[in-house]
Amino acid sequence: MAQLYYEDVQEGSEIPTLEKLPTTRTLVMWAGASGDFFELHYDKDFANSMGFPKVLVHGRLEAAFLTQMLTDWIGDRGELRKLTVQYRGNAFPGDTLLCKGKVTKKYVEGGESLVECEIWVENPAGQRITPGSAVVALPTKGS
Amino acid sequence: MTEEKRPTLEEVKAFIGKKKEETLEIDKSMIRLFCQCIGDPNPKWQDTAPPGLVTTAMISGGALAIEVPRPYKRSVAAGAEWEFHKTIKPGDAITTTHEFAEVQDRSSEKGPRVLLIYKSTHRDQKGDVVAVSTNSIMSY
Repeated sequence: MAQLYYEDVQEGSEIPTLEKLPTTRTLVMWAGASGDFFELHYDKDFANSMGFPKVLVHGRLEAAFLTQMLTDWIGDRGELRKLTVQYRGNAFPGDTLLCKGKVTKKYVEGGESLVECEIWVENPAGQRITPGSAVVALPTKGS
Repeated sequence: MTEEKRPTLEEVKAFIGKKKEETLEIDKSMIRLFCQCIGDPNPKWQDTAPPGLVTTAMISGGALAIEVPRPYKRSVAAGAEWEFHKTIKPGDAITTTHEFAEVQDRSSEKGPRVLLIYKSTHRDQKGDVVAVSTNSIMSY
């Protein structure tokens, strides 16, 4: 995986899109791997009783997808420092989700080269169901 | 049907500061299951935990198990924030202190609503802070 450097990014630079297709199998795996056993994410009758047509993709799974988009982008020497998400909409198993982002600011602070990004998960209708922001630290060329 | 009695905002605020602590040992199989589930083949995660592991309920979701009465009938996860301070490695024992931290009144013309905010501080076996998580529940 190519290393990303602070000099490589500018305000407006786009983060490579990460595509995910969570299925009901993914949700069962996530329940076990993450310890989230809320029935809303695997029991359709329960989801129906709460007014949802199907079980829902866990918001934390979407957040985990966003962390992967960021760690794929920043490379081995980059560090994810902060991730913020808002759960605005729902995703359902079988939805192709696009994890996207772009750079909003770059600055040096405390000797570190930091980059702020706007990030989001987009549903098949093109809606930003899980918007947020992130801060990453990147190496500089020659460092 | 009788309406369930709901606590007032002041009664909910009385729970601010309530804490819960738990410890979780991180092993390679947890990391492997996490990476298999999200589909992250990055070889870097063979020796270190990906930061995303902190987003899991087993690490940062326990805050929501602090018993705080909800002021309104419906509630939904509103958002979350994670600050990553130190890489977690297999073999680390992560002790988390969860705290019910804040109540924010977000009522509007749409009706009464309130944000319940929980903070969790995750420390490794050396006592170093590895991450800080914030989770928000909207009650409305």
